[in-house]
Amino acid sequence: MELMKLEIITPNGVIFDGDVTQVNLPGSEGEFGVLAGHSTLVSLLDTGVIVYNRADGREVAVAINSGYVKVDEGKTTCIVDGAVALSGEDTHIAQAIEKAKKLLKSTQASSASIASAVSKVEKIGKSF
Amino acid sequence: MANLKEIKRKIGSVKNTQKTTNAMKLVSSAKLKRTEELAKRSRVYAAKLTELLNEIAQKMQQSNVEGIDNIYFRNIQNPKKVDIIFITADKGLCGGFNSQTIKRTNKLIEEFRANDVKVRLRAVGRKGIDFFKFNGIELNDEIIGLSAAPDFKQAAEFISDIAESYVNGETDKIILVHNGYVNMITQEVREEQVLPVDTSKLELNSVVSSELEVEPDDDDTLLDALVKRYVEYTMYYSLIDSLAAEHSARMQAMDAATKNAKEMVKELNVKYNKARQESITTELIEIISGMESMK
Repeated sequence: MELMKLEIITPNGVIFDGDVTQVNLPGSEGEFGVLAGHSTLVSLLDTGVIVYNRADGREVAVAINSGYVKVDEGKTTCIVDGAVALSGEDTHIAQAIEKAKKLLKSTQASSASIASAVSKVEKIGKSF
Repeated sequence: MANLKEIKRKIGSVKNTQKTTNAMKLVSSAKLKRTEELAKRSRVYAAKLTELLNEIAQKMQQSNVEGIDNIYFRNIQNPKKVDIIFITADKGLCGGFNSQTIKRTNKLIEEFRANDVKVRLRAVGRKGIDFFKFNGIELNDEIIGLSAAPDFKQAAEFISDIAESYVNGETDKIILVHNGYVNMITQEVREEQVLPVDTSKLELNSVVSSELEVEPDDDDTLLDALVKRYVEYTMYYSLIDSLAAEHSARMQAMDAATKNAKEMVKELNVKYNKARQESITTELIEIISGMESMK
């Protein structure tokens, strides 16, 4: 599959910067997926989970509270306020999940979107 | 003999001061390292945010012939009311760090007053507050503690109040003055226009990107949110920048103080030795002359 660049940036540093095959984003108007060659787009991001597939096929999830995304043909840049990465390599996955849940619950988003994001995080947590 | 004792006492006190300044220097250099790291990390975020704002503003300009039609992007030629925010440290002993910022703020105030512009001052940091209070100049806002420990939430709250007064028309322009970090030995006073967003600084006509889709569909929602965030982050980043500059300025000041103390100890030692020599010589002369008279 064709690769594209993905950057996830928070005020506390860069969470991810590398090649991915696909990324799913929690846009304010609904979730959407991005593949390489997507048309230029700017969107608000809501409380939710960003899921991307790295070049080696591994799926990684990042819980975010809110932010923006800019999509270009070859590059996607997410500028988020707070994020917790949930990746399989992390030995402290339980802690990461707790942190992610706390982050999601601390936002002012509607309880429905928080609940759906939290359940998603839990599902991801079980898959490890 | 009294002189000798006094010099000795002085040497001791200078040595003690040297110890203190040296310790302060070490503390500042450790803190500087930490703050620098923080600044480095948030710089990426700030750069990306500006880039995004840039692109949206660009898109809006393309769609509107008369330029950007948004309250945050107004082009005001003759502002009537201006808010100046300035950031100083809570503590002194850092050379000209605080006075530079204050001087620049004063210059700005004078410039605006000369043009009949109403100026409101908002101070962050104890040193700046003390200075203007001492001179009987009214401050609209005073925050102590934020410049020593920048906190995003607090900074955002502070600036959003001011941004709100901009939206309400209470002020036409918001300017932020702070002393910024350049490298270990240089600081530079920076002056930024927070609102309206300075369109001349955005590279509006650089790369014209392809058609840009925006979600949610109406531009203003996104732009408002983005500008708000941009303003908050500018404030936060300025605080971090100022803190880094403060530490580097203090490090330098303390380094100079330690060096001066060293020099002083050296001089005092020479003085002490001379005085000692003198007293020995006097004693010898007394003994010799006593002996001579006994002959």
